[in-house]
Amino acid sequence: MATATKLIGKPIKRKEDPRLVQGIAHYVDDLTLPGMLHLGIVRSPYAHARVRSVDVSKALAAPGVVAVLTAEDVQGAIAPIPCAAQIPDMKPAPRPVLATNEVRFVGEGVAAVVAADRYALRDAMDLVEVDYEPLPAVVDLEKALRKDSPRVHDGLADNAAYHWALEGGDVKKAFKQADRVVKLRMLNQRLIPVAMEPRAVLAQYDRGDNRLTLWSSSQIPHILRTQIAAMLNFPEYGVYVIVPEVGGGFGSKLNVYPEEALACHLAIKLEKPVKWNEGRRENFLSTIHGRGESCDMELAVKRDGTILGMRARVLADLGAYYQLLTPLIPTLTGLMICGCYRIQNLSVEITGVLTNKMATDAYRGAGRPEATYFVERAMDAVAAELKIDPAELRRKNFPKPKDFPYATATGLIYDTANYQGALELALKKSGYKALRRQQAALRKKGRLLGIGLSSYVEICALGPSSAMPAGGWESATIRIEPTGRVRVLTGSSPHGQGEETSFSQIAADMLGVGLDDVIIVHGDTSAVPYGIGTFGSRTLAVGGTAIYRCCEKLRDKLLKIAGHLMQEDPAKLVLRAKQIVSKRDPKKSISFAETVGAAYTAKTLPPGVEPGLEATHFYEPSNFTFPFGTHVAVVEVDRETGEVKLVKYVAVDDCGNLINPLLVEGQVQGGIVQSIGQAMLEEAVYDDQGQLLTGELMDYAIPRAADVPKLETFHTVTPTPVNPMGVKGVGEAGTIGATPALVNAVVDALAPFGVRHLDMPLKRERVWKAIHQAPSESAGRPRRSK
Amino acid sequence: MIPAAFEYFAPKSLDDALRLVERHGDEAKLLAGGQSLIPLMKLRLSVPRYVVDIGRIRSLRSIREEGGWLVIGALSTHHDVESSEMVRLMAPLLAETASEIGDVQVRNRGTIGGSLSHSDPAADYPAAMLALDAQIVAASSSGTRTIHASEFFLDLMTTQLRPGEILTEVRIPRLPERSGSAYRKLHQPASGFALAGAAVRVSLDEVGKIASAAIGITGVAVRPFRASGAEAMLAGKKPSPKLLADASEKVADGVEPLADIHASAAYRRAAASVYARRALEAALARAEGEKG
Amino acid sequence: MKIEGRHTVPAPQETVWQRLNDPSVLERSLPGVERLEPDGPDRYRASIKYKVGAVSGSFSGSVELSEKNPPHSMRLKTSARGVPGFVTGEGKLELVPKGAETEVVYSGELQLGGLLAAIGSRMVESAAKKSIEDFFKSLASS
Ligand SMILES: Cc1cc2nc3c(=O)[nH]c(=O)nc-3n(C[C@H](O)[C@H](O)[C@H](O)COP(=O)(O)OP(=O)(O)OC[C@H]3O[C@@H](n4cnc5c(N)ncnc54)[C@H](O)[C@@H]3O)c2cc1C
Repeated sequence: MATATKLIGKPIKRKEDPRLVQGIAHYVDDLTLPGMLHLGIVRSPYAHARVRSVDVSKALAAPGVVAVLTAEDVQGAIAPIPCAAQIPDMKPAPRPVLATNEVRFVGEGVAAVVAADRYALRDAMDLVEVDYEPLPAVVDLEKALRKDSPRVHDGLADNAAYHWALEGGDVKKAFKQADRVVKLRMLNQRLIPVAMEPRAVLAQYDRGDNRLTLWSSSQIPHILRTQIAAMLNFPEYGVYVIVPEVGGGFGSKLNVYPEEALACHLAIKLEKPVKWNEGRRENFLSTIHGRGESCDMELAVKRDGTILGMRARVLADLGAYYQLLTPLIPTLTGLMICGCYRIQNLSVEITGVLTNKMATDAYRGAGRPEATYFVERAMDAVAAELKIDPAELRRKNFPKPKDFPYATATGLIYDTANYQGALELALKKSGYKALRRQQAALRKKGRLLGIGLSSYVEICALGPSSAMPAGGWESATIRIEPTGRVRVLTGSSPHGQGEETSFSQIAADMLGVGLDDVIIVHGDTSAVPYGIGTFGSRTLAVGGTAIYRCCEKLRDKLLKIAGHLMQEDPAKLVLRAKQIVSKRDPKKSISFAETVGAAYTAKTLPPGVEPGLEATHFYEPSNFTFPFGTHVAVVEVDRETGEVKLVKYVAVDDCGNLINPLLVEGQVQGGIVQSIGQAMLEEAVYDDQGQLLTGELMDYAIPRAADVPKLETFHTVTPTPVNPMGVKGVGEAGTIGATPALVNAVVDALAPFGVRHLDMPLKRERVWKAIHQAPSESAGRPRRSK
Repeated sequence: MIPAAFEYFAPKSLDDALRLVERHGDEAKLLAGGQSLIPLMKLRLSVPRYVVDIGRIRSLRSIREEGGWLVIGALSTHHDVESSEMVRLMAPLLAETASEIGDVQVRNRGTIGGSLSHSDPAADYPAAMLALDAQIVAASSSGTRTIHASEFFLDLMTTQLRPGEILTEVRIPRLPERSGSAYRKLHQPASGFALAGAAVRVSLDEVGKIASAAIGITGVAVRPFRASGAEAMLAGKKPSPKLLADASEKVADGVEPLADIHASAAYRRAAASVYARRALEAALARAEGEKG
Repeated sequence: MKIEGRHTVPAPQETVWQRLNDPSVLERSLPGVERLEPDGPDRYRASIKYKVGAVSGSFSGSVELSEKNPPHSMRLKTSARGVPGFVTGEGKLELVPKGAETEVVYSGELQLGGLLAAIGSRMVESAAKKSIEDFFKSLASS
């Protein structure tokens, strides 16, 4: 970098926080427009039923009601929800914005009611009479695939949406040469993302300008704009999507939803602004879920612990319909299934299964937490069977730093890594050896301490466009304004991650200005260039790099202008602290302000240089990045009740260079906490009729501050060669690395009872049962504590 | 999450409130802290035509001593109870129980009268009421009556209270000397309610034997209950780990435990035993501490 | 969820059978049922008002008797649908004579839907058990 670094690498507090903590930020639901109407969706209480009739007459006659729509009213006017994923031979399962003749999950919309206020709306929704004829529901994945199973979609041959397979090396030979085959069946349960702000939509139509404005709590404003234009057959130049403050997404807002299209359709039809916002219960029922994969894994191993090969059969619960990326997510599990190990002989088979449930889609980690969980649990099972220390087993199977770039059996090229470096640091920081001694001593007293390791690699910075369904690049436009302030327009759409701060750090350093001289503008499609959005731990590595490259263009132009003014070779100049200084003679300088002024007054520009200071860059990455790390969890299990207490947590993550360690810390901690949720508490429970039993926060447990001990976080730094800043992405590392460490720790604690595996969530009762129904007598009868 | 329309009253005196509930009978609902009623109304699982908000009746929010009894007004919040010096002194079990209810927001709004009237099978207070032999006072336009805690809880969310009655206060008798008490609870991880909660009061005699023990169990069955079998095993005996363990094993004998996605019947039964034993251990330690 | 149990009704088998087949007895005994109107053979339309503690609601539903094998056994199907969702119960009733009394053995499935399933499963199951108990008590005194 040509400029001296001052802000990059510093733990700068978030620029976005003052407005958030003061409550003066604006979310969609804070917006009110004159004449605004309210939209509500009448939803199916059945997981699967034929809709015999929908009688809207009473609702229409209710006070304050403006319109009631059913599927018939929108047929032909609103196309189904788009799915960007294309998998060969994938069966179609498009989601209509309102159920046509059948409902296929509890929560599917059957009618849309519009009223003058929320009270009238709520009353009128109860008056829509739907006559359902219940049909058998498909819930369990294995049963769904049986020949005699009812079908989620009548016309389809079976409930298998697709089969996706990948083979590398010589699996048969590997299993033949194995001393042992270790098998494990695991479930990575369905989760509900629970963003703090549920979804919210506001649509407004201006007939004079034929202009449709959509405010939505979204992670992908531009993709949403394109898709809404396509769904409504409305010219895209007339669609304006604005994403104000977003209270969390975790992937659940990386989508296009029926309510977005319905609100737009109604705003056009009624020529009134239409708002919809989601209650928590609706959020649980009809915003995408995550995970929901089961895996049968077999590892072919040598007696010394060398892994020769892997077979994995994954069933993925897709739900009833495809949302934007539904079918794609499980394939990411397939791509990452061999984790950070040298497993060159591999076969993976993934079956996407249709069920009468809400669709699954990207949830923080999206396919990688599942992969990491499966392989890391299986590694621990190998360690237990071979009686090798889990750390030693991992060490033995890591590729070495010199092996990078490393080609996996799944066809990826891992950029760079030092897996063992991260492992050793995690062992040291957690005091691993001492922990093992402590564990042995406590076991003698009947206490159940467990130590769990997880080494992970993930795929980030999504990604090169060749590997992405809708482009993998990102954009930036930067304007240095006449007063010298810098306006950065990004196509990314940060929604809580803090990129207003990290992007400012990059731009400020690159252009030699202060943090507060920079404003980051995002989320307004009429203000910023087309972009892909914020997901897949891509925003810094791809969106940030676009800014970096864009700054280079502006810097070069500034130096050219300054050189012309100073009579100095631009190559000999640097930008620093609002000065452009000669490297040869530091006394020779010109102010940033003067140079900017010259660009706008345009009287003394060098020949061939255009006036103004604006540049745009579309950055296309050459590869993904592959962050990695090792996490160590230490738990104590209460043998009487099965309660698990997390006593220590050490995380070592390598996300390359750290632009802002404070933001990285926030991402890592938040991710680990969500992992605690998955490992210990959370599960979307459907009964055998497809009713969602965890329909509210009173029944769906998410972790709270009191459940979380001090999380000790550390880093190794292995910059990626993929982008100029050497950054990789860290948004999902916590949910990828932590879950297996936690489960491994609990299973390790239960080793004296002969417990080999337990499925998540490790609820107290499940752990208690494992202890009290243990086949092993070696641990003796549980003692009573004094 | 918008309730059905209702008519709202906010009487300033108990008499006015009683008149209103008498007039509207079954169609009226009293509103205290709203922590149970409002969620039900928002879900439209409760659709009262009239809501009588008793929150402005100041006289119902008090904690005082009266002839050796601790008297707690129905509108005392969980926070009031948890932080009252008088409660800590006279019935520390109640303060401890209150501190285990929900979260800070719930404790700042929810009231003891509301909790007892609502009688959620997983509510915390009922266990303590049973263990403390509390009396519950109900007023109606025809006068007041006093109901012993052991007779108050009838069935699932059903108490002795009749339409037209208002729970006005709870009266706790003075503890015998050398008494100790404790509340131990297994939290439902999402809601914070009790999957199993054991409120224990033990009193020792001069030689350190258990003079009497009272064990109230909540969260386990459709209504809270006294573990009388276990209590009988303890009475008159010298405390020992084996005695506590054996008695605790029995706490849920003869009841049919609830089962749901959070805990099976077997687990609730087992947890009740463990938590009862832990509460007994703590209560005994406290009782023994008093002796010295 | 599974619901099963047994209840002794202090009346001979034949009497119990008759009561179970008498709509006016059913109307009186089925908890919450306010009105029962014939809707085909052995089929009734029901309007139901329900109240447990602070929870209350109105439902419309049906009661259906089938596979009758007098006076020994039958299937009973009830369903109720209202704003907070639906409840359906279907099961078999067996009448076993025990001297002058009759033991009614029942086993079946209870299915909740909508809000009731999501919010109230713990409560509704307990409430259902209580309702069944109330039903038999009421049947005994009919
Ligand atoms: C998130 C959350 C977590 C919770 N966790 C717990 C927990 O862990 N443990 C626990 O025990 N509780 C818990 N609760 C419930 C809480 O304790 C409530 O405060 C309590 O159940 C009801 O008290 P209230 O004053 O809010 O009553 P309200 O909600 O106002 O009323 C409840 C019912 O009682 C009736 N009522 C109220 N006052 C009287 C009176 N004086 N006389 C006659 N009838 C009356 C009302 O008509 C209504 O039917 C929780 C609640 C929430 C929202």
